[in-house]
Amino acid sequence: MGCSVAIFITIHTTHIPFVPFVLVFSLIMLKKMMSIFLLRLLALGATISATVVTLTTHDSRHVLNLTFKASYSNAPTLRYFVVANAIASGYSIIVLFIPSKNSLWKFVLISDVIVTSMLVSSISAALGVAQIGKKGNSHAGWLPICDQVPKFCDRLTGALIAGFVAPILYLLLVLFSLHNLINLLSAKA
Amino acid sequence: MAVEIGDKAEAECKSNQEIAVTRKPIGYVIPVLRLLTFAATLSATLVMALNKQTKTFVVATVGTTPIKATFTAKFSHTPAFVFFVIANGMASFHSILMLVIELFGHKYDLKGLRFVIIPVLDIFTVALISGAANAAAFMGELGRNGNSHARWNKICDRFKKYCDHGSAAMLVSFIAVLILIIITAISILKLHKRNSTSYSTLH
Repeated sequence: MGCSVAIFITIHTTHIPFVPFVLVFSLIMLKKMMSIFLLRLLALGATISATVVTLTTHDSRHVLNLTFKASYSNAPTLRYFVVANAIASGYSIIVLFIPSKNSLWKFVLISDVIVTSMLVSSISAALGVAQIGKKGNSHAGWLPICDQVPKFCDRLTGALIAGFVAPILYLLLVLFSLHNLINLLSAKA
Repeated sequence: MAVEIGDKAEAECKSNQEIAVTRKPIGYVIPVLRLLTFAATLSATLVMALNKQTKTFVVATVGTTPIKATFTAKFSHTPAFVFFVIANGMASFHSILMLVIELFGHKYDLKGLRFVIIPVLDIFTVALISGAANAAAFMGELGRNGNSHARWNKICDRFKKYCDHGSAAMLVSFIAVLILIIITAISILKLHKRNSTSYSTLH
């Protein structure tokens, strides 16, 4: 059982560096709409994983008469993070089903910009609060909580990484869509 | 005959002049919005950068003499506020630069690159400013309400002026985010309209 887990992990860690190369290769070689579809699918995966992982992390620890209970509902920042990523994933699912060559795509571009800014704001706020949770703020007398609830902090790190990748993918999507919009219009002539 | 030719030439010259006059109208919506963004981000930067409050508290009482300690609340204590100041500074620089390009940049021909670079830079700035404003807002909310689950006490009841100035800067920065999104939307729609009409008039 341990052998199979080790083999599984080594295979997947050696595959990880190939993922960006495959992504770039497919983005260059495929048609524009297919690569935009692929980027949107990846961003959907990132937002859904960020939402689900943050929703399911909780940890509690009893120290003498103090109880440290850590969950996403205890911090308003993490609640906003969950809601923003949920809205972005729902929006991605809806837009995935719009057929290409529809006149809606310029409004999809504008709403993509709005969703990008929403995702960037959610990850930025979550990272700010997570930094206080890990390092504390000595000027305000706020102690770090990560050593009290290590399981919560580790899982939240994974969710924050996914939530960090999502707005990057969305920004790439916006740039690709803008390029597509201009090329599509100049190709009409 | 010469008079007719002269009249025709004069009429053609006048119509050419009219075309030349009406060809380059400067729309006033986007430059006004960019000026508002510049003012908003500049004021947010300055108000947050000069945000400082010093207060002395009685920490303990030894016998009858109270021991006082001086505490300072500065923007540089919190990384989120530092990011807020830097991001708003960069956004105000971007706003004034785009304003200057749009008003005085018609002489330089960048072969159509200008019409693409401006929306792309606007999109970058929208993302930057929205991240900065929201991070500062949630940090301010933490300072105002504290977090009882993590045993983090609120600081706004003791440093009222610091919190008020900070929330004013955040509010103005959120207004700048809204205006920047409107500018980006108008730029993208104008890009679409420019490309579709220029090629339709050619044929």
